[in-house]
Amino acid sequence: MRLPAAERRRPTLWDAAVVLAVAAAALLLFFQISPSEGNFLTATVVLDGEVIAEYDLSALTDPVSLRLDDIPYPLTIQAEPGRIRIVESSCPSQDCVHIGWVDRVGAQIICLPNRLVISLSGAAEPDFDAVSG
Amino acid sequence: MPHSARHLTRCAVLTALALALSVAEGLVPLALIFPLPGLKLGLANLVTVYALCRLSGREALLILVCRCVLGALVGGRLSALAFSLSGGLLALGVMAVLLRLPALSLFGVSIAGAAAHNTGQILAAMAVLGTRAPLVYLPPLLLCSLITGAVTATACILLVQRVPVPGPS
Repeated sequence: MRLPAAERRRPTLWDAAVVLAVAAAALLLFFQISPSEGNFLTATVVLDGEVIAEYDLSALTDPVSLRLDDIPYPLTIQAEPGRIRIVESSCPSQDCVHIGWVDRVGAQIICLPNRLVISLSGAAEPDFDAVSG
Repeated sequence: MPHSARHLTRCAVLTALALALSVAEGLVPLALIFPLPGLKLGLANLVTVYALCRLSGREALLILVCRCVLGALVGGRLSALAFSLSGGLLALGVMAVLLRLPALSLFGVSIAGAAAHNTGQILAAMAVLGTRAPLVYLPPLLLCSLITGAVTATACILLVQRVPVPGPS
């Protein structure tokens, strides 16, 4: 079977259309759910669908740490005035640690191996609720 | 002769190549430079594109599934199987359809495949977590797939042009 796409060495105009379509989808989605600045920030820690902790980041004055040991990969969460992060985690991918600090409404830190989601909500929150099912 | 030794060997070699590429890629995570979960070059996709172009859809599917299962076993992370399979299968499906279009080159096919792979992984993450939260990562991942897709396409074009078509099968 001959496939024309396999024989070409240079991109065609239609490739540009694919690029535009992907970029348009990304931008559209971005503006639907983009994190935004908020005056009132609340961080909700959801483990396996259950809220286990909630921090009012705007009202915090001192840093707080939360150590979670009873989960598949123990980790430590750190909250500071206006921002929150996962400091260290024993999970293999370390994605959640690499994300670093998050400080905007709508932002999420996800630790998939632990089924843990930290989501920031606040005054300027879009219709985007991380707690369900 | 779909079950000849030659045919079997070819699929096995491609599976091993795909597995080696994905393991090698895991050693140098792009996520260290750019913190975005799920971000990777997608080198194993080279093998999928090659198999789609030079073998057949069925063989590409077989190689993909073997690579994902073996990859999960080698990495010791069976939980990762859902993500690599959902991304890989969606990418394979999209690329198989786009390859039939007469007007595209491997650039378009590969970029669409990369975007489909990321979408599949995010959908799997949403299903596992039961929330829409992972969707936040999709727009930046889609933009990155434009670059990773173009990079793998460049390698793909070389591979497909230089590695001769296997004998009749």
